[in-house]
Amino acid sequence: MSLPIHLRSGGLPSWAIRVGAAGALVAVLLWIPTHGSDSLIDTCTTATMLMAAAMSLNLLLGFTGQISLGHSAFFGIGVYTTAIGVTRWGWSPFVTLPVAFAVAFVVGVLVSLPALRIKGVYLALVTLALGLVFPAFVKWPKIEWLTNGSRGLDKTGFKFNKANPTYELFGWNPWGNLRGQNVKPFYFWVGVSIVALVYLVCRGIVKSRMGRSLVAIRDNSTAAAVMGVNLAVTKGIVFGLSAAMCALPGSLSAIRTGTVTPDSALLTVAGSITFLVIMVVGGSGSLWGPVLGAVVYQFIIERTSDWSDPNNIPGAVRPLFSWSDVAPGSGIFALALILLMFFAPFGIVGLWHKAVATVVAVVPRPAGTASVVPQETAQPES
Amino acid sequence: MTLFSARGLTAGYGPLKVLEGIDLEVNEGEIVVMLGANGAGKTTTMRAISGVIARHGEITFDGHNIQKVGPDAIVRAGIAQVPQGRGTFPELSVEDNLRAGAYVRRDGSGAVQADIDKWFELFPRLAERRSQRAGSLSGGEQQMLAIARALMSRPRLLLCDEPSMGLAPMITQELFQMIERLNRDEGLSVLLVEQNANLAMHMASRVYLLETGRIVASGTAAEIGADDTIRKAYLGF
Ligand SMILES: Nc1ncnc2c1ncn2[C@@H]1O[C@H](COP(=O)(O)OP(=O)(O)OP(=O)(O)O)[C@@H](O)[C@H]1O
Ligand SMILES: [Mg+2]
Repeated sequence: MSLPIHLRSGGLPSWAIRVGAAGALVAVLLWIPTHGSDSLIDTCTTATMLMAAAMSLNLLLGFTGQISLGHSAFFGIGVYTTAIGVTRWGWSPFVTLPVAFAVAFVVGVLVSLPALRIKGVYLALVTLALGLVFPAFVKWPKIEWLTNGSRGLDKTGFKFNKANPTYELFGWNPWGNLRGQNVKPFYFWVGVSIVALVYLVCRGIVKSRMGRSLVAIRDNSTAAAVMGVNLAVTKGIVFGLSAAMCALPGSLSAIRTGTVTPDSALLTVAGSITFLVIMVVGGSGSLWGPVLGAVVYQFIIERTSDWSDPNNIPGAVRPLFSWSDVAPGSGIFALALILLMFFAPFGIVGLWHKAVATVVAVVPRPAGTASVVPQETAQPES
Repeated sequence: MTLFSARGLTAGYGPLKVLEGIDLEVNEGEIVVMLGANGAGKTTTMRAISGVIARHGEITFDGHNIQKVGPDAIVRAGIAQVPQGRGTFPELSVEDNLRAGAYVRRDGSGAVQADIDKWFELFPRLAERRSQRAGSLSGGEQQMLAIARALMSRPRLLLCDEPSMGLAPMITQELFQMIERLNRDEGLSVLLVEQNANLAMHMASRVYLLETGRIVASGTAAEIGADDTIRKAYLGF
């Protein structure tokens, strides 16, 4: 190998890089709520919600190969469980998070039942129907007493008051200023916690025996079945977990904005498509892909949100966008998607791996030094 | 002693009936070879035994009726299948493919790792590529991986569907020697589907001849080989 840098998997330098990256991540996370502007904190909080939704879809589609265009409905279940719990039954908003998780899990398992028999385009259609039905279902007159129909619900959020304490760690307040009106850092941390939780669940599954069985199902489901993988149970659990995790950012959305309407973008099929595109652009089947995808997506959307007025477009690119009188964010993202599919079918993460591979050679552990020490009968009889 | 037996086994795909009621038996320690033309239903038989398609008839393994048992329980009972074609998981590493083969085992990761190392010693070519994606292996290497992976579940009966497909004659020979060795040394019973009749007959204890979903002849390898009409019509030598 003639690559300039050699890294041994599990060796000291590779650990140093990991620790460094984790340190940088923590530094960025602490910087945003303490030094960032309000609008940056808002952008990042929205990004965390998209991350969690796209990661949950990734577990289902990226790792298990089961498409869902119905994740907006699971997100919506989170939104409405929280909104109804808070406004109708007076629950504390954060109690609704585990409830939303449980409700979406059950619905996810139910949806997995038809998914056992169908694949590909047909599964896309069935889940698409779920995504389409959800906003209509919420507006159904018979359950208006619960959901308030198309008018939606308000005062679904967390009520902050002057009595809310400010927590300090060694004289420094990681939550930002919770007093007064500025509660943005608080929601940012809730969003980050949800992402961390979803990440840990996905990572735990993917690196485990179950994770191998998921990839096995995706790659060759008959072969997985003759390895003893119970397709029905495994797919059901994954569908349920994916749905449940997607409901968490939905809950946060209701808590954070304080109002809920059935036609807001992420609750319609457009939401499902958004999650899907974020996942694909970031890198499907990779743990960090949706995280990067969501950051890039939200950054582009925010940066171009006022470009419907040509005067707001920077001079250099104005001729490109001035003809349109809508914000071009989604269009730019769609174009990025098409280009990425040509140059990096595995998304940003795939692009990164390719770039790294040209300068760094990761040397695998030599044979026979696996972390689990083999005992006794390792000798073949011959 | 009878390890596996099927009486009046029927199976198919939806409305299409492929197996029209076949009787099949594998005794402990036997290598049973199933021959038949393309489309005769050999792969369907394998799938029916593994339980991945709906089947009917009286099917027993080790004295237990397994007709209503799901594919995962069948693997746990001790039947493993090497599916026809490249049945590996291309996006998993070679080593993780083997680990996936041990999916039903409950004897701890130490014992599984010991088995993995054993197969790596037997297939050095796989050992060199242990952390590579299985999809990047050659066809023959994938076939070896598929067999090793099936054996990772420590089966008592191995269903092997055309393991020689796409392999160089030398490798095929090696592979068959290996199956014979496993049969001799570890008492593994084997049901082998093979197009290369000549080669397969050499190691067969008994032979079944399948034609359009029916068994048209069966017997010891010597009996079948000695029958001129069968030889000319089905075996081509
Ligand atoms: N998944 C399927 N769905 C519908 N019909 C199938 C399916 N698989 C096989 N068949 C049909 O079942 C019949 C038997 O197929 P099978 O694969 O068992 O043949 P085979 O003996 O294994 O042939 P080969 O030697 O070519 O592998 C064929 O007519 C085939 O068309
Ligand atoms: Mg076949």
